[in-house]
Amino acid sequence: MLEQLLIFTRGGLILWTCKEIGNALKGSPIDTLIRSCLLEERSGEVSFNYGAYTLKWTFHNDLGLVFVAVYQKILQLLYVDDLLSMVKQSFSEIYDPKRMRYDDFDETFRQLRVEAEARAEEMKRTKQVVKPLNGVKKQGQVSKEETKKSNGEKKDDEGKVSSVSNGNHKMEDDVANGKENSADNNNSVGVDVSKLAKLRSKGVRGRGGLRKADSIGSNKGSSKVEPPKKATKKNRVWDDAAAAPKQEEKLDFTDEHGDNGHVDVVAAADQGESMMDKEEVFSSDSESEDDDEPISDEKPEAKKKGWFSSVFQSITGKANLERTDLEPALKALKERLMTKNVAEEIAEKLCESVEASLEGKKLASFTRISSTVQGAMEEALIRILTPRRSIDIMRDVHAAKEQRRPYVVVFVGVNGVGKSTNLAKVAYWLQQHKVSVMMAACDTFRSGAVEQLRTHARRLQIPIFEKGYEKDPAVVAKEAIQEATRNGSDVVLVDTAGRMQDNEPLMRALSKLINLNKPDLVLFVGEALVGNDAVDQLSKFNQKLSDLSTSGSTRLIDGILLTKFDTIDDKVGAALSMVYISGAPVMFVGCGQSYTDLKKLNVKAIVKTLLK
Amino acid sequence: MENLEDLKIMAEQWSYQGIEYLQKIPPTQLYAAVGVLLFTTILLLLSIRLVRRTKSNTVLLSGLSGSGKTVLFYQLRDGSSHQGTVTSMEPNEGTFVLHSKNAKKGKIKPVHLVDVPGHSRLRPKLEEFLPQAAAIVFVVDALEFLPNCRAASEYLYDILTNANVVKKKVPVLLCCNKTDKLTAHTKEFIRKQMEKEIEKLRASRSAVSTADIANDFTIGIEGEVFSFSHCCNKVTVAEASGLNGETVQVQDFIREYIKP
Repeated sequence: MLEQLLIFTRGGLILWTCKEIGNALKGSPIDTLIRSCLLEERSGEVSFNYGAYTLKWTFHNDLGLVFVAVYQKILQLLYVDDLLSMVKQSFSEIYDPKRMRYDDFDETFRQLRVEAEARAEEMKRTKQVVKPLNGVKKQGQVSKEETKKSNGEKKDDEGKVSSVSNGNHKMEDDVANGKENSADNNNSVGVDVSKLAKLRSKGVRGRGGLRKADSIGSNKGSSKVEPPKKATKKNRVWDDAAAAPKQEEKLDFTDEHGDNGHVDVVAAADQGESMMDKEEVFSSDSESEDDDEPISDEKPEAKKKGWFSSVFQSITGKANLERTDLEPALKALKERLMTKNVAEEIAEKLCESVEASLEGKKLASFTRISSTVQGAMEEALIRILTPRRSIDIMRDVHAAKEQRRPYVVVFVGVNGVGKSTNLAKVAYWLQQHKVSVMMAACDTFRSGAVEQLRTHARRLQIPIFEKGYEKDPAVVAKEAIQEATRNGSDVVLVDTAGRMQDNEPLMRALSKLINLNKPDLVLFVGEALVGNDAVDQLSKFNQKLSDLSTSGSTRLIDGILLTKFDTIDDKVGAALSMVYISGAPVMFVGCGQSYTDLKKLNVKAIVKTLLK
Repeated sequence: MENLEDLKIMAEQWSYQGIEYLQKIPPTQLYAAVGVLLFTTILLLLSIRLVRRTKSNTVLLSGLSGSGKTVLFYQLRDGSSHQGTVTSMEPNEGTFVLHSKNAKKGKIKPVHLVDVPGHSRLRPKLEEFLPQAAAIVFVVDALEFLPNCRAASEYLYDILTNANVVKKKVPVLLCCNKTDKLTAHTKEFIRKQMEKEIEKLRASRSAVSTADIANDFTIGIEGEVFSFSHCCNKVTVAEASGLNGETVQVQDFIREYIKP
């Protein structure tokens, strides 16, 4: 049963609610929908889940109205989409900007609902007749797909036909129309069988790695065993398969006596102001209003007629934007975004969201469709890249100082993105603002990681807490924080080892570190060169952190540090992909390899570069 | 070379002709023409200056998301908040005469009221409207004040240090909303807390070098604890209750600064 149906303006005033179903909603689903979906440019999605409810919505972009239907998640009502579109149609006829009450709509709504329910019943009946015929032909998996797809999707018929012809492996193509739930389930169903063997073998090693939690760091969980190349090199034992005592030799190569005096005590590195504090000087080149290339994909014959009518329409400005009008412009925009290194999935979702917000809107006079679309996309991009919460680290540090505890920052990321280098840059910046910093070397796996940090610490003249290699990073971090509390450091910067996002034991170790130490800021370090993998990295990191979190408080990624920004000229799309998929703001941008090369993200400049 | 000389000769001829023509006109006409010219230019200049001096009658309603701006907007416009509100995605604008229970006599100038969404993702919208603001009402939730204190003070700090606000000395009203509830804080408490938080912000943000890219100006006096009286623009505090329609103090503030 429908729980509630609301009509409100984009400015926030509720115009009409269904009074028949007067159930009060638990929590605030509408506000959450607006904040985490519509304002996050995910309006192209099909539905939104909140607690026990599912919400579906539709826009009337011309009048600036939003129609939202709320119903119980467990019920799969088929008529909601239908009902919403009919309600939209009939309400827009009686809508008047001056009127605030629409009590006469109650009657109309009741009729519409009865109609919609009746139609849904009929459709269900006809579908049940067709079902047994198809069920014989399909394999077992596809029947699962059907039940998942019957969440009110109207493309069921299409999906059935194509899936019969394609078979298991091609299911990803069928569900490429934004049906996320079914897509994820299908993928997992499809690949389960093939990857089962691999998972089984991984599982053993993973569990084994956990049993021995202290000495052998869990970093080595599933890495490959190196065959002995020379006689002098011995096999590394990765798990407790054969943990004979003789093999527990010292693999810790840290030099006990410190460096042999080769290192000259460098004077404190003072390379001037960090770029965080410098004003951004970017040349404001003349923005060309016109598109660079006209949409040359279209056929030339249709182009002539289309051009004349579009020019006429752009002058009179009366046309209502239809999906077909928007498609070519959006397609061109998506291509342009993808050439700027935005992940394909993200570009697709963004275009859907912009389409949802423009459909049905009246074109202003003297504007072309392409410029309207560009304007809407620009607004959407600025909205996504504007941080959702304050990114004032200095303020947070001061707040933590008042509470007499150190402010803990943990740097996480995959291999080779620049965590240690950027950690040193952040330390330099903080030091310039008279904040006492301490480094914690919790990368106990990579050879030379501790020495690297030690060198940075010596150059910056800040204390470093290290325990060498082969130690449990979570314990090292805990002790580092205690040490910082003791000697009154304001900030503790924790360096961790790089790890791939689908490496289960390493991700478990990371979440153990975070759960144990409860840092103030979890900073994901990502390089700007990454392409479509950014989406995978961030979503898997967040998922693992939330799955493996204990004690109720789930810590996800709080901020992003974008590195190697100087190596990309104008292909700045990775920033957009990362921010969109995780919702975390970009707090720093690393743009070089010396201490001063750290700056803030300039939202307007990035949006301009993306849309150039 | 010849062309230049030719041009010179032609120019001289034209000037002689012009002077002859002028001398032909009787002097009264000449004086009258000059007088009319001067008069029109003076009129033009005056009108331009007048247009610039007439203050815009735009009042901005800003504040964090959920503080009650949209409710206040509709109260000021219609006297009721209708059937409730949700988080705004777009600004609400309107030019109208403030709705008040006791109808005031005389000409009341309509006010252009803008309700700017408070959600942090829509923060750039505020910067669009700040240049035309003649007065700003900063709405604070007096009920859920302490959890949001830091965010509210950062927002207020950003407004008070904005270039437009400082240069034009735009008056700001710190409006404590939802005072009809029992556990709402008093306006004095809220004022003191905001001053304290802004003092902390001042310390952390002015620790940056001279190229302060975050804020255009700093506020307050060096060496002294911040207080709203240190601002060059006037900052006052008031109470209101959007749901109950108690908007008298806000209306007085608006009427004071939007002169008819």
